[in-house]
Amino acid sequence: MFDSFIQGLWVIFEGRTFLMMGLGIILGFWVGLLPGLGGSTTLALMLPFVYKMSPVEAFAFLLGMHSVVSTTGDITSVLFGIPGEGTTAATIPDGHTMAKKGEAGRALGAVLMSSLIGALIGAFALALAVPVVRPLVLSFGSPELFMLAVVGIAFISSLSGQGTRALLRGVLAGLLGLLISLVGQDPQAGVQRFTFGQLYLWGGLDLVPVLVGLFAVPELVDLAVRGTSIAGELPKDNLASGVWLGIRDTFRHLGLTVRCSLIGTFIGIMPGLGGGVAQWIAYGHAVQSARNAEERERFGKGDVRGVLGPGAANNSKEGGSLIPTITFGVPGSSSMAILLGAFFLQGIVPGPDMLDKHLVLTFSMVWTMVVANVITVAISLVFLKQLARLTTVRGSILIPFIVFLAFIGSYTSNNHIGDLLVFLIFGLVGFSMIKCGWPRAPLVLGFVLGRIAENNFYISTVRYGSAWLARPMVLLLVVLTVVVVIYPFVRGAKGAAARAAEAA
Amino acid sequence: MTKKQSAARVWRALAWLAAVASVSAFQLSRPETAFAAGYYEGKTLTVVVGYKPGGGYDRYARLIGKYLPRHLPGNPTVIIQNMPGANSIIAANHVFSVAKPDGLTIGTFNNGLVIAQLTRVEGVKYDLTKLSWLGSAASDAAILALRSDLPFKTVADLRKAKEPIVIGATGPGSSTYDFPALLKEFAGLNLKLVSGYSSSADVMLAIERKEVDGRAGSYASILPYITNGLVRPLIRTRVRVPEIEKLPVDEDLATTPKGKALMAVRSAPEAIYRPFAAPPGVPADALKTLRDGFAAALRDKDLLAEAAKGKLPIDYVSAEEALKIVREVLSQPPDVAREIGKYIKFGD
Repeated sequence: MFDSFIQGLWVIFEGRTFLMMGLGIILGFWVGLLPGLGGSTTLALMLPFVYKMSPVEAFAFLLGMHSVVSTTGDITSVLFGIPGEGTTAATIPDGHTMAKKGEAGRALGAVLMSSLIGALIGAFALALAVPVVRPLVLSFGSPELFMLAVVGIAFISSLSGQGTRALLRGVLAGLLGLLISLVGQDPQAGVQRFTFGQLYLWGGLDLVPVLVGLFAVPELVDLAVRGTSIAGELPKDNLASGVWLGIRDTFRHLGLTVRCSLIGTFIGIMPGLGGGVAQWIAYGHAVQSARNAEERERFGKGDVRGVLGPGAANNSKEGGSLIPTITFGVPGSSSMAILLGAFFLQGIVPGPDMLDKHLVLTFSMVWTMVVANVITVAISLVFLKQLARLTTVRGSILIPFIVFLAFIGSYTSNNHIGDLLVFLIFGLVGFSMIKCGWPRAPLVLGFVLGRIAENNFYISTVRYGSAWLARPMVLLLVVLTVVVVIYPFVRGAKGAAARAAEAA
Repeated sequence: MTKKQSAARVWRALAWLAAVASVSAFQLSRPETAFAAGYYEGKTLTVVVGYKPGGGYDRYARLIGKYLPRHLPGNPTVIIQNMPGANSIIAANHVFSVAKPDGLTIGTFNNGLVIAQLTRVEGVKYDLTKLSWLGSAASDAAILALRSDLPFKTVADLRKAKEPIVIGATGPGSSTYDFPALLKEFAGLNLKLVSGYSSSADVMLAIERKEVDGRAGSYASILPYITNGLVRPLIRTRVRVPEIEKLPVDEDLATTPKGKALMAVRSAPEAIYRPFAAPPGVPADALKTLRDGFAAALRDKDLLAEAAKGKLPIDYVSAEEALKIVREVLSQPPDVAREIGKYIKFGD
């Protein structure tokens, strides 16, 4: 096993393979930066090119491209407040706020370093999980997946602000998100829900136009109204030292970064969760790590921990989601579904063989993710100055450019005019929520988890009756849910007691 | 700026617009040159796919799009246009009523669209009998497969099952759901359907962790799991696939004529599993060129090699044959169509 592990590293440094990985990285770099191009679409477009490559070359190319997309996507999220990828939106609430405060360098340093750590942990988790991954995935049935979604939804309590009123708003926003997730044909009776006779809505709402609208439009309006650059008239941090500070932040909060990487990996491993879930749960966890009420207040206002959590998780989940893909042929995310196509093009059947006959290939994938991310982070750090300077460009020059990217980004989800409408509607929703002081994160959480919760609840109940409630893992997750819900209150109460003691 | 000046500006702009509009209108209305040997030279052929990149329909479209130019006069450039939504009804509507019948647009969409047309699903604007058919790239039978570790080897064993046999499915409208639903209703099998899995691969995983006892679906997609011994095929639909010809056919298990008829209609489109068609009204000579090119591409040795490697079965069905199947399904009298609509919802 260890031999294959080392051999996997050597094979990716062989001439052609390394070249292919390099090509992949260059492509992935741009695809991530430009919100108009999705990582999964690009993977699909590149599929025909792998036909003539060897399996190791093909996956070095595809994974090299894919594993850096969420790293550079974070850069766009931080700089412009538009998600570079659907999976990088959670770095916006704090990352982009930091950029607006003139701390673009620090935010970018933090997001890049945490991405790197996330990618490393995800990849090594994948390597370590190889012997135990099949039993692990098999032990998570629909009841457990349902409870995982519930744990995720419980994070709404920590993503809402302080106090009863704020909590109520958070819960309502979460419910709105759940409601939105119901749009489309339901898989139990085949009934159309909230589709208003529109064919476009049959498949439900797409994550990308919803997120881009929700986050980009309020930023654009804000930028236009202020009439300055993104970083405003505030003194800018010295970029070089800002970046360094961001990197140091990552290590200062290493525990959080590692925990969020593990969260990302775990969510990646569970087939069916996928997509945008990992980053938001990690964000929720980062908020929860606040020691007291005042600290929690700072989230959404440019706390670096709100950048580190999702930055790590959206990279580590790639390693995780490769696990069910290669061992069961069950894609952990939409990109992985396309990657499965590549397996078939290469004449490789995913499954137990990957852990035995093709073990070197499996490990070469692990190494590709590691090496590609190291290279990408290094390149990004070199060009960071130029990138961060974009936040000092006057708004009037930047706005048309951002509007264009946001429109293209939304439109490429389905190439349908409906994408633009969804973008505009959610832009309005996002803008109103900001105006009225409602949190947007719970809405997104409800939206990404709604369908997962509904389907797995239905399956659990039909299959097991009420017996599923007594499964040990389910009970464990129930306890975890309770902890997640009451934790902020306990901390809040403690903080209040401490302040009272101080005052006395 | 004076009022007069600004008015002059507006007029000048309008004049420009008018000029541009008339030139482009002229360009658009220019009659196509007669269909000649080099018709496709320097032109672009668009293949509209009713799904996002990466799925089965998309992979077939890209494979055929790669080899089709070789077999068309003038070697056109081919682009794939993904037009996802409503299980490809959007793409079919587009090909039917928006795309021009100039032989430069073809589309591929869910074979179940014919059922959607028959049961008058809301949003259907196309009429499949009026499309300019090229044929189908593959046919595929649906099968019911159960875990090999269960004691079911024949239909007789199934009938003896005391506890319901749990079948995992994605949702109504897919073969993972409708096929076993009809077996349960009309062949008296003791099945319990559990739907809501996000993909058929997820159902397979549920089988592996013994959450469900089996699944239905296309033979090609279940084949790897039959080969590795996880599941055993038990029942098939009418489309003939050499390796599973001996399995009992669902229609023969039906206990009522109505059940038999419903099963026949449900499975008929499987004979044209990967349909390709152009808009209505493509001129006869252009259509012949397209059809011949499509047929020749699917006999191309390189295409067949690439398809085999990518595990995409190729099984060419001619345009006439495809149209015959479409007509057959649509020839059901209205009351039968209504009855079908009760049992079969349209989905992907």
